[in-house]
Amino acid sequence: MTAAIDIHHLDKSFGRVTALDGLDLRVDAGTVHGFLGPNGAGKSTTIRILLGLLRADGGRARLLGGDPWADAVALHRRLAYVPGDVELWPNLTGGEAIDLFARLRGGTDPVRRDELCQRFDLDPSKKGRTYSKGNRQKVALIAALASDVELLLLDEPTAGLDPLMEAVFQECIREVKDAGRTVLLSSHILAQVEVLADQISIIRQGKIVESGSLTELRHLTRTSVEAVTDRPADGLANLAGVHGLRTDDGQVRFEVDGDQLAVVVRELGDLGVQGLTVRPPTLEQLLLRHYGDRLVRNGAEGVA
Amino acid sequence: MATTTLDRAAPAGTGTGTAVTGTGNLLRFMLRRDRIRLPAWTLGLPLLMTYFATALDTIAQTPEDLAGLTAFTSSPAGALFGGPGFGFDDLTIERFLAGQYGLYVLLGAGLMGLLTVVRHTRTEERTGRAELVRANVVGRHAQLTAALTLTAVMAALVALLIGAMMTSRGFDLGGSMVFGASVGAVALTFAGIAAVTVQLSEYPRAASGMAGAALGAAFVLRGLGDMAAVQGSGPSWLSWLSPIGWSQQTAAYVHDRWWPLALSLAFAAATATTGYVLSARRDFGAGLVPPRPGPPRAASWLAGPFAFAFRLHRASLIGWSVALLVAGVAYGSFTQPLLDGFENAPADLVEVMGGGSGDLLAGYLGMMGLTMALVVGVYAVLAVQSLRAEEAEGRTEPVLATSVSRTAWIGSHIAVVALGVPWLLLVAGVGMGVGAAASTGDAGLLGDLLVGHLAHTPAVWLVLAAAALLYAAAPRVLPVIWVVLGYGLIAGYFAPILELPESVLRLSPFEHVGEYPLEDVSVIAVVVLTVLAGALAQAAVAAFRRRDLAGGA
Repeated sequence: MTAAIDIHHLDKSFGRVTALDGLDLRVDAGTVHGFLGPNGAGKSTTIRILLGLLRADGGRARLLGGDPWADAVALHRRLAYVPGDVELWPNLTGGEAIDLFARLRGGTDPVRRDELCQRFDLDPSKKGRTYSKGNRQKVALIAALASDVELLLLDEPTAGLDPLMEAVFQECIREVKDAGRTVLLSSHILAQVEVLADQISIIRQGKIVESGSLTELRHLTRTSVEAVTDRPADGLANLAGVHGLRTDDGQVRFEVDGDQLAVVVRELGDLGVQGLTVRPPTLEQLLLRHYGDRLVRNGAEGVA
Repeated sequence: MATTTLDRAAPAGTGTGTAVTGTGNLLRFMLRRDRIRLPAWTLGLPLLMTYFATALDTIAQTPEDLAGLTAFTSSPAGALFGGPGFGFDDLTIERFLAGQYGLYVLLGAGLMGLLTVVRHTRTEERTGRAELVRANVVGRHAQLTAALTLTAVMAALVALLIGAMMTSRGFDLGGSMVFGASVGAVALTFAGIAAVTVQLSEYPRAASGMAGAALGAAFVLRGLGDMAAVQGSGPSWLSWLSPIGWSQQTAAYVHDRWWPLALSLAFAAATATTGYVLSARRDFGAGLVPPRPGPPRAASWLAGPFAFAFRLHRASLIGWSVALLVAGVAYGSFTQPLLDGFENAPADLVEVMGGGSGDLLAGYLGMMGLTMALVVGVYAVLAVQSLRAEEAEGRTEPVLATSVSRTAWIGSHIAVVALGVPWLLLVAGVGMGVGAAASTGDAGLLGDLLVGHLAHTPAVWLVLAAAALLYAAAPRVLPVIWVVLGYGLIAGYFAPILELPESVLRLSPFEHVGEYPLEDVSVIAVVVLTVLAGALAQAAVAAFRRRDLAGGA
């Protein structure tokens, strides 16, 4: 598979603040790649470097086979960008802004534009300054989704959208993916990335700390298990990989390391399981492991 | 912090509040927010006056020096950029300070008044902060009342400090107090005007823009009136239509009249009352003028970076065109009264205005060309500053993420403004020309004025290119460009007073082309300035290609 984005050891600092510290990122063509991290981790800086808006201090970045800084204009014809905080021109209507972006990028599908305006329930005749944050976001999303490009760079694109619009957005991204296009979706909305992304990279303090498919990342975390068994299940606590086992009213709760799950489930079967709830790890838990209990776990960071 | 303060505002025991409940706490909150701004304004204006006083001491050390100044200041140009010149026939340092330089402190006070009111009313509403405040125990009119009170406090401080400062320099106590009060009065009148304009539009910039336009109109009106007064013919009553004029009519250190300031106070009270009435007729957060829907699709010509840059500058270009046309006609139609007034003027006075030839008409027209060039220079600098806002507020980023190159982006904006410069000079020249031709009956003046105005184009281009280079290379120091315009103003108007050597004078880009029709247009200067401007613009594009873009978020 060819890489739409290929970044090696990217460095960028602003004065004394290090924004990117040897960042590596590879996004395969035709995939939706989730780019997860807390605020200030360097997500926007990475995207701005990919857009040629910032110049990297060191390292190498390739975008659609070109150099993001030197070939910016040629590359921008093949991509669309949605910033996390969309600002519009106060005197231009939303419709004018959408058309303008499309024309500056080099053409759009007017039918698709109108269809997207309807799906996102946007009134394109309002002036930019009268839009709420969510509506400004819609303007940028429609402009990006209506254009026929190979790559979408979306920097926290749904901030300010209501759940209904969030669903429309997910639908649109699936269509984009089915059309074989590539999406880099930066977010800290975990549920969104979980639903859409084929691959996920987690960035923290300017470095990618974990990268892989959701399945690959899951084995790094613990699955939550709740079970009701015929015989007491306290013995499970002695199995490798089982943590925090508690029993009350015949119900047992514990967490188990992803790679030990098979063993534990077999044991539960032998204990005469009557009810079983297994919750896969959420990305919240993945993130918590990286940003929450930093003091407890030091050795596990070299995974990426 | 605000919450605890506002909690205490709840009227104990009464259970009900009035429309101004919470004003006191809001006022304290505003004082806290303005802990830098308030001293900056209230100390800045007296310091500006101190600077003028010190500078004048060094220029005019003997009575003869002072008498030499009269020649310029008693001329119409002196009146236009100074005042009606009370007591200038028996000139003293303090009369000259109040009568000539005082105008600029009055303008500063007007700005202080209108900016403070807009900042604490419409800006707060627009950002949504006022909503949080109003949800507490705060009356409907508390915000405006507190903002006006704050401005009144600032005006009083400025008045007292300027009065005290002038007295401490050994000037007459009564005159100093009248002068200080006249400065404070302008702040009050424009606070009142701003109290009205903030009700009209939802947007703080529109509100301060309208109030600023009123300040400009006040300046022009009294300029025309004062010019008439100085030469003893023409519509000198125009000065009485201007809040700045009322303050100047106090004639500090000459007549020491307090009563014109009663007009200022009555005007401030009337406009503030209008503000209250209007605010009761509109919804919170809304303007009296509702926003209209626009076209759901972009016009077909709106494609490509140049068309887009033009679209962004269009509204401002239209506004400037109208303002310059009106100002041009107003000042142009003043030509004949000016000539009449000077028929009996002493020869040395005519000499200063019109040069050796004694051609007063050419002198006046040439000077107006330079004035308009400086004003268009302000347009160019503001246009470049709008680019900086465009970038800082995150609107440039998505454009550069399309296939618009950096060269195309900044190049288009520079090109649109560069074309706007001769256009605005043309409009101003047409206004002046039509006004002057109608007033004197000499249609040939139109051509003279067009040449005289358009000839300044390369000088304004140089200012534009320098501003663009500063923006591209070091956006933070862009405001430094105002020094060039400020120096252009000083070199253009006060050169006869300051007796600047020719080499120093020529540092100003506006001192090379020549003030046609008084002087010939120097073709060499036109070519050199144009080439220089082109080179700086090239450097600006090159610098902009190299730097990081400022983030919006």
